[in-house]
Amino acid sequence: MKKSFLILIILTVMSLSLVSAQDEAVVATPGETVNMILLPKFLGIAVFDQAHQGAEEAHAELQNAGTLEFLGPTQENSAAGQVEIVTTAASRDDVDAIMISNNAGDQLGPALEAAKAADQTVVTWDSPIPSGDSEDLFVAQVDFDQTGKVMADMALSILGEDGGKFAVLSASPDAANQNAWIASLQETLEDEAYASLELLDIVYGDDVTETSYDQALALVDKYPDMELIMAPTTVGIAAAAKAMQDEGLCETVKVSGLGLPAEMLDFTLNGCAPEFALWSFVDLGYVTYYATYLLATGAIEAEEGVSFEAGRMGVYTIEKDPTREVGLRIVMGPFSVYNIDNVEAAANPGGAEMTPEATEEG
Amino acid sequence: MPPSFKWDSLKRWETLLAVVLAVVVIFNISQSSVFLRVDNLVNLFMLHIEKIIVVLIMTLIIINGEIDLSVASVMGLGACVVANLYERGVSMEAAILVGLGVGALCGIINGFWVAYVRLPSLAVTLAGLIAYHGIAEMLVEDRSIGNFPDWFNQLGQKALIGPLPLSLVIFFILFIIFAAVLHFSAFGRYVFVIGNNREAARYSGVRVRQVKMMLYIMSGVIASLAGILFAARLGAVRASTAEGFELDIITVVLLGGVSIFGGKGTLAGVGLSIMLVLCLRNGMNLLSITGNTQSTVIGVLLIFSVLIPNLTQDFQGFWNRRRMIAK
Repeated sequence: MKKSFLILIILTVMSLSLVSAQDEAVVATPGETVNMILLPKFLGIAVFDQAHQGAEEAHAELQNAGTLEFLGPTQENSAAGQVEIVTTAASRDDVDAIMISNNAGDQLGPALEAAKAADQTVVTWDSPIPSGDSEDLFVAQVDFDQTGKVMADMALSILGEDGGKFAVLSASPDAANQNAWIASLQETLEDEAYASLELLDIVYGDDVTETSYDQALALVDKYPDMELIMAPTTVGIAAAAKAMQDEGLCETVKVSGLGLPAEMLDFTLNGCAPEFALWSFVDLGYVTYYATYLLATGAIEAEEGVSFEAGRMGVYTIEKDPTREVGLRIVMGPFSVYNIDNVEAAANPGGAEMTPEATEEG
Repeated sequence: MPPSFKWDSLKRWETLLAVVLAVVVIFNISQSSVFLRVDNLVNLFMLHIEKIIVVLIMTLIIINGEIDLSVASVMGLGACVVANLYERGVSMEAAILVGLGVGALCGIINGFWVAYVRLPSLAVTLAGLIAYHGIAEMLVEDRSIGNFPDWFNQLGQKALIGPLPLSLVIFFILFIIFAAVLHFSAFGRYVFVIGNNREAARYSGVRVRQVKMMLYIMSGVIASLAGILFAARLGAVRASTAEGFELDIITVVLLGGVSIFGGKGTLAGVGLSIMLVLCLRNGMNLLSITGNTQSTVIGVLLIFSVLIPNLTQDFQGFWNRRRMIAK
């Protein structure tokens, strides 16, 4: 009787420890040496600089004795340039991990396979490898399936309950994240709740300001009854809003999508882009860095169900990516929706703390 | 100017290129243990292989006293034709043949206006640049076409003979063929003679028009082939594929000591210039210098490559005059 009771206790403790071992989030050991490359789609736009800033913050926090290089191609040469940088990195002995926002579709496959063959950790962020091969993990900024709903909701809120016609101004047709979001938007639109919204066209501005600007105006010419341009790219939304403002069209054609508060402030205040959404790219760079550091040091494996702690951002659990056939992801989240009420505070985060409410609470 | 002077200045240019190349190579070796590894040397060629294949035919065209600004558009058009046909269910093999045929057709159009109507090649091929790119845009629009058969992607990406992928093998074979044709055949002599003086060549019985036509057809076919290889390497095609490559291609030819006015240049010089640009880019990549900095370094190098020969000539002219006055 006593014996069996003891066995029961032992079994209980063992099973408890098993459960807790599974749930326990792995915490990174600072001070290890991991040479990392942060590779954005291209250099020269604010959001990628912010991601770099977040990665630098994590780099300092983890006291990584290795290097963090921020390398990227020029805008005109994004796909071929990314292939070039990854190919070269794969043949270098002093690179342990590559963190990439893919702008080359599956074209990066062979180069990333070479990197994996050289024992380098490959983590995608912002935009994954569509096929899911040749990457260890994708750090999704938000749930990609959610993005379509957020955009459709903003469209309804801007156009009103009776809806209207709108077009999508995307970045480049090779950007996996853009394509996933547009697909998710199209799926959302099939829902009856959004039956009043009609998607006219999808055009691409290549994340180049001038091209996006021209594409926005071309849409206006092509579809006189269009009431909204939805641009799920920070470059596209700002360019489209500028185009509508310059042409005095803000009353008839509104702009929405994914934008940076600092870049969208004026357009939101003057009504050209009354509502838009985004997440923090600083946080995205930060979380990506933690995940990559943990994978590269062998502290965690890229497997479903593995949990880890990413510094100030808290605990994440690796899961199967439901938006792709193959691939693992973590979802950072959440979306912030900006409008005339909160855009100023978001655009000047330093100034926000000076508001009366904040002082009262403090 | 006596012909011996030209020969000497050419010799000096290639020597200069070789010296600069040696400096870059030694620097790369000293900075990176990876540089001399076979996989890196293959990468060094492969990352710009499509451009340097077109550089070979561009060398002949510029020596001939003409230019082909449409090569990059033909590259893009070749790739887009293949992608479009494949997407419509045509077999990849047939699509590639049609793509090469379209390249030849572009060459015939360019050649007709340049050789037979005698319009300036700068204007004709500039029009080609715009028109062929426009057709590519119509075929592929704003999309990206991929999902090609595995054998096609592997052809562009995987090693075929030893460590060498197909496009690298094609480059080496074409280099040998073009060197032989340009420097050791009657056709090559005609190319030079016409480039030096078209009228004189015509009066001495050289079939100027046929030679020019041949060159443009070759340019069209080779550019289209390079575009298709590019599609195989990247595994996807967009209308903007290869956009802007023409300037990179022409600058490598000029850096190789080929005179933009025609009649002067060697494939050896162009070979050295290819190696110089590739080693410089690879070295900068290995040192994590990318993007605009890389373009700036290459740009400065090219400015010097145009300045130095001209300055030395001016200086020599000045010096000769001084000597004559002194006498």
